[in-house]
Amino acid sequence: MADLNQLYDAILNGDHKTAVTVTRQALTEGTAPIELITNYMSPAMDEVGRRFECEEYFVPELLLSGRAMKAALALLQPLLAASGAEPAGRIVIGTVKGDLHDIGKNLVASMLEGGGFEVHDLGADVAPEKFVGAVREHKPDLVCLSALLTVTMPGMRDVVEALKMAGLRDQVRVMVGGAPVTAEFANEIGADGYAENAGVAVTVARRLTRKNHAMDEAKG
Amino acid sequence: MSTGPYNQARQAVRDALAHRKPSHVPIDFGSTAVTGIHVSVVAALREYYGLEIRPVKICEPYQMLGLIEDDLAKAINIDTKAVFTPKTIFGFPLENWKPWQMPDGLEVLVPGDFNTTVDSNGDFLIYPQGDTSVPASGRMPKGGYFFDAIVRQPPINEEQLNWEDNTEEFQPISNQDLLAMRVAVDQASTTGRALVLSLPNMYLGDIALVPAPFLKHPKGIRDIAEWYMSLRARPDYIHKIFERETAVALTNLEKIHAAIGNNVEAVFTCGTDFGTQTSSFCSVQTFRTLWLPYYKAMNDWIHQHTTWRVLKHSCGAVEKFIDSFIEAGFDILNPVQCSATGMDPKLLKAKYGDRITFWGGGVDTQKTLPFGTPQEVHDQVLHRCEIFSRQGGFVFTTIHNVQARTPLKNFVALLDAVREFNGATNGRPEPTL
Ligand code: B1M
Repeated sequence: MADLNQLYDAILNGDHKTAVTVTRQALTEGTAPIELITNYMSPAMDEVGRRFECEEYFVPELLLSGRAMKAALALLQPLLAASGAEPAGRIVIGTVKGDLHDIGKNLVASMLEGGGFEVHDLGADVAPEKFVGAVREHKPDLVCLSALLTVTMPGMRDVVEALKMAGLRDQVRVMVGGAPVTAEFANEIGADGYAENAGVAVTVARRLTRKNHAMDEAKG
Repeated sequence: MSTGPYNQARQAVRDALAHRKPSHVPIDFGSTAVTGIHVSVVAALREYYGLEIRPVKICEPYQMLGLIEDDLAKAINIDTKAVFTPKTIFGFPLENWKPWQMPDGLEVLVPGDFNTTVDSNGDFLIYPQGDTSVPASGRMPKGGYFFDAIVRQPPINEEQLNWEDNTEEFQPISNQDLLAMRVAVDQASTTGRALVLSLPNMYLGDIALVPAPFLKHPKGIRDIAEWYMSLRARPDYIHKIFERETAVALTNLEKIHAAIGNNVEAVFTCGTDFGTQTSSFCSVQTFRTLWLPYYKAMNDWIHQHTTWRVLKHSCGAVEKFIDSFIEAGFDILNPVQCSATGMDPKLLKAKYGDRITFWGGGVDTQKTLPFGTPQEVHDQVLHRCEIFSRQGGFVFTTIHNVQARTPLKNFVALLDAVREFNGATNGRPEPTL
């Protein structure tokens, strides 16, 4: 029998090889993918986020845990898709045009995946039209924008405007973040949410994508 | 030439670095790649101060920093002078200038080997050592202001990882580069300003340099995320690289000192960032085991053989690292990002002000300088000067490079405020244009 606590530990310790081995064994033994995610993988990533917030973990540890989680998740994804299981929500994420800082955005993307979201990462230096195209293609619940430069922060407003122009703004929520971004700025540009770090991003994403929730109710 | 108030420049920086009260708070813009001004702002300043209108030279092609020539330095009372590394981050020297046009149409001058192509997105691509026959190593997004490194990391095969692949850049300095440095130092000395010499390959894992935009075919770990993970997952590999980098640096330091002597006030050796906006990239403990011994070896050599002061650049929330920076032998901290967690100017000055020089912290570049009013800029600059300048230990500059799109009126308000502060304290006269 696979010791599933090892999966939790492997993700927490950023050991992707063990994460894959245990996941593979568990699947062979018939454990449901959703059980692995809900009981082991997501809690491990929650703990990673907690350790990051209290400075027991830093960027390297988060990246390692994110990689371990992704490697295990890759084995589950085909099964989840086949079973028609719905993710916690669909997310399109990217760093805005002109900005190539992607370390924070990558951490946020990992944590969101760990939180059970389906994440489409468009990378860095993403133009508003690309966000619009990705919203049309993936039909996400949430668009996540990251910016680290004051010169590129206005690019977040451009994405919100581009979504409006494309008639898509009512169909998605928008969350913003990154070192210079504030809740005030998020409000000012008409975003629906702001998170100051990767752990909080998961909480805010959960709030913003809560199903059966009237769109305007979650505003603010 | 050093005339009038200008000949005080070098001495003011020397006093500040020795923690003696200088005749005025010295100002740095343009002496390093982390205290520069974006070319668009340099061009605007030249116009504002009525200087000859001519295309500005790009002295740092990655961040597109503009060269601050002596006429502008004089107009804005700069007390420092750059001596750049012999080669830029893209591996070519600053020579054979030719015209180039920024995406917004600004005409500038770039080095002869600054060769670019435009990709299907409309982005500019730039090439290592100017060689367009190899894959590009930098990209300026369409409509952008600066380049970023392109990661050219082949897939990693764990079993075949060899730390030596990550050390191709750490080579003995050539006689040609030594000569170039010597000539540059001699020329810069005539300005009467304090010289800041940037030294190559002593940084230990600067994330901007990990992708090696200057190498044609970089090998080893060249991806940013993979590098950060390696700090935790492959510490032995990292130690080996740092050992090699330090050993080469020590022999190069000896040669460089033999070539230029004590003719520079400060050396900029390391821009490795340890801070983020609210936290850090590693714990202080990791810094102490993975970095400190190597930095200390280089800095100890410098202190035992030269009069140079060593400048450490690290953005972000690094308050808790400062004691270790000092222990590692750094004399100067830049950019003193007061907007990051724990970087309170009063606390920094009180706790560390007599042991390390703050070279920066003059104004916030995340909010105040780009978005504030001229009055807000003025007030913050005066306030920072008051806090940081007591008993020397302070060289005024903004927190990191002055970015493109910085409103000119705000930058002028900054300069006026420093002038006002200096005038108020020692009657330093207005500059003669
Ligand atoms: C959608 O929802 C969300 C929710 C939360 C979100 C979110 C999205 N996105 C992020 N979050 C949040 O969660 C994350 C995890 O908790 C956090 O993400 P962060 O990204 O904040 O945190 C990361 C985990 C770690 N932090 C980081 O990765 C950023 C650290 C610092 C030191 C930094 C780095 C590392 C780099 N840089 Co740059 N860099 C600085 C940074 C200093 C600082 N104070 O932040 C900053 C951002 N850089 C700056 C600058 C100016 C630049 N940099 C540049 C380059 C680089 C490097 C290449 C060297 C490297 C980036 C490597 C990379 N691939 O990302 C240049 C531009 C490159 C470009 N085209 O974009 C350049 C222009 C060069 C220069 N210095 O002049 C400054 C911006 C100042 C300003 N006025 O805007 C800067 C603040 C440094 C400073 N002290 O001034 C939260 O913000």
